Amino acid sequence: MTDGRVEVLLTGASGFLGHYLLAELLAYPNVRCHVLLRSPMSASAVRLDGLLADIGLNLSALIAEKRIVPVEGGLPDSLSGVDFSGIDVVLHAAGNTTFHANGSGEPMKTNVDGTRAMLTLAADAGVDRFVYVSTAYVCGEQVGHLPEAFYPTLPPVRNDYEHSKWEAERLVWEWGGQQGVATICRPSILFGDSRTGRASAMKGLYLVAKATEILARAMDSGRETDRHQIPLRILGRSDATCNVVPIDWAARQIAGIAMKPAIESSVYHVTNPDPPTHDEIKCWLEEYFDIAGGRFSGAKWPLQDANHYEDLFYSLGNICLEYFRHGLTHESRCAASVLGGHRLLDREAFFRCMKYAQATNWCRSRSEAEVFPAPIRNVDSKWYFESFLPESVPLSVVAKVNELTAIVRYTITGSDGGSWVSRFDRGRLVETQSTPATLEPEFEYRLSCEDLADVVTCHRPLQDVFFHGSAEMFGDVERALKMVPIIGEFIKEFPVVDRECPVPVC
Amino acid sequence: MLIETAITEENVRIQGQDRMLEGILSYPNDGACSSALIAGPHPFLGGDMRNNVVSALLKALVPQGVVSLAFNYGGVGGSEGGPTDWPAVMSNFWKDGTFAEESDWIEDTRSAVAALRQWCDLPPLLIGYSFGCWAIVSNLQELRASAIVLISPNFKQHAFDQLSECSAPLLLIHSDSDFTCSLSEVVAWADSIREPRKRVQLAAGEHFFRGHEAKVSGTVLDFLKGHNILWTD
Ligand SMILES: NC(=O)c1ccc[n+]([C@@H]2O[C@H](COP(=O)([O-])OP(=O)(O)OC[C@H]3O[C@@H](n4cnc5c(N)ncnc54)[C@H](OP(=O)(O)O)[C@@H]3O)[C@@H](O)[C@H]2O)c1
Repeated sequence: MTDGRVEVLLTGASGFLGHYLLAELLAYPNVRCHVLLRSPMSASAVRLDGLLADIGLNLSALIAEKRIVPVEGGLPDSLSGVDFSGIDVVLHAAGNTTFHANGSGEPMKTNVDGTRAMLTLAADAGVDRFVYVSTAYVCGEQVGHLPEAFYPTLPPVRNDYEHSKWEAERLVWEWGGQQGVATICRPSILFGDSRTGRASAMKGLYLVAKATEILARAMDSGRETDRHQIPLRILGRSDATCNVVPIDWAARQIAGIAMKPAIESSVYHVTNPDPPTHDEIKCWLEEYFDIAGGRFSGAKWPLQDANHYEDLFYSLGNICLEYFRHGLTHESRCAASVLGGHRLLDREAFFRCMKYAQATNWCRSRSEAEVFPAPIRNVDSKWYFESFLPESVPLSVVAKVNELTAIVRYTITGSDGGSWVSRFDRGRLVETQSTPATLEPEFEYRLSCEDLADVVTCHRPLQDVFFHGSAEMFGDVERALKMVPIIGEFIKEFPVVDRECPVPVC
Repeated sequence: MLIETAITEENVRIQGQDRMLEGILSYPNDGACSSALIAGPHPFLGGDMRNNVVSALLKALVPQGVVSLAFNYGGVGGSEGGPTDWPAVMSNFWKDGTFAEESDWIEDTRSAVAALRQWCDLPPLLIGYSFGCWAIVSNLQELRASAIVLISPNFKQHAFDQLSECSAPLLLIHSDSDFTCSLSEVVAWADSIREPRKRVQLAAGEHFFRGHEAKVSGTVLDFLKGHNILWTD
């Protein structure tokens, strides 16, 4: 610290939580933030610029004023250019939110190896405060009242993500014992801004909302059932709670914790003291989307005897209901910041978030596409066909092409390729199987990973890739051709805009 | 005389019946011997003025002294128009391959020929590819053509009766493996249409002639030279 100035090294600034953290840190007039941005830094800076502009900050001006110092680097291996000397606090919020290891080494690589690398460099430079953003769900399947304390043994974690976050916590805690003061912040599920409804990423609870919109849209297009008597089984207990916190509140708490002088290592739960129950969320969703009829059920996922509406609702997969938990509460010093009688997420705040989600097409608006001007070369085809299409097709214009009934195979060649077969029934994407598939396709598109990336990011029309490029059509070519404009319209409505394909996150 | 000449390609606007269309006008800088309108495939089947066959024809014809125009039908690329109730239109098209307002694209073709006439008063050669075949043949009553070229016409989907109303030289190019019809069907259909006509069957081009575009354009050039529409060497 020089002249009262606090030098903070922030990782993950270009993420959902990170850019809010940056804004909160900058609200402290004596703070200068060194932000770690991944290579190519120009592209990361363009994205950060867009995110900050949305919340009223000007990146160029802040750089000119030396309030923000961009630093190029990546976890775990590309930190050699990062200067830790003179840093007072490291706020490590970068993380990989892949639930299940997929062969790329993630989420362990970023979360565990990356945190280890950050801790080593911080120790070498004599940094004495390290704040780590973990997750409230590092507790795994534990229930009861969870203390704000490090879990000395691995909790009964449910996925690789939780495991990696606990491993990282362990490293941070050990560092605290030997090198300086370690602080672990455990936010629960991050939701939209309580004031504006804004969110720059929509996963978790947003998927439940999106699934509800799919049902509502099906009702709009005149199915025979009364929209207020939809026979839908909701898998779970009505009194289980969903511990969501607004992103602005969570960021303010974490920044506050990081800025507060600390003399000993500690753990904070950044959780909602009065989270909504399943039943409340159901009521809010029903009211917002003007549908009703769902009832809670003890049935198990996957439903063997799903009806048409359940097929639709669960077309987004097991929509994260595992994070609605019964009998789990958190000790939390942050809770004191919530005024009595005030709820962090109430009906009005929830509606604001829904409005924002719809207005931005669930975060996939064209304006966002403009934030990512460079062609994306790394669309994960498995993610695209198994997650993105099932999530997006029901919300797209394709769902209104009532006559569209077809079984299509997509074969993506190249090292990241694979083959998937999708069945459309009256505009609905009913199922997608990865091969070997039992479905018998009527026609097939075959294209390379690079062509897929060009096409789904709107950089090249599918017909162009076919007529002038290397893509092929097989089987009933006439139907394959007829489907091209339908796919084209879908891609215009739902372009892939993320620099890397997102994966489900808590 | 073989014309080796510089070429200009212009993006042009074409006044359609009630909408503006976009086109590519390509011409040799040192004089022309003919003009050509190239009508491309069905807009709902990936048809646009940058289609591989359309592009190959432009590339081959212009250096031979042919002022050539390709255009986008309404609703394609930068051309105005297109279906308003897109899902309903697509549903119908998916069901039976029809689109009630296809006749608008016939109009567009007529407007494109009219525009071409304004830029070049030589009698036009009318070239249709796939759906474009029907678009030009449907206009034959009103268009005086120096020759007609039909490439992979979908005669099972559309009627070509108006062909008999025009006596200009006619070239039919088809592949030996087209998804729209069997080889015997296209041969029988070709035999049933009026004379004079020439039928050329290309091997392995399917309907799309991907990788065989030069064969298509070469066949067209030979035919035109045979009818003294192009300058010969
Ligand atoms: N979202 C939630 O509901 C939630 C809940 C609890 C805890 N958390 C924790 O909060 C943190 C932020 O989550 P988020 O939702 O904001 O995630 P996010 O939107 O995916 O952002 C992740 C951030 O980490 C950066 N990053 C990822 N891998 C990196 C690497 N290998 N090297 C350098 N930077 C890397 C990303 O940079 P790029 O922009 O370059 O990709 C981005 O800035 C994570 O640690 C997560 O575990 C999140």
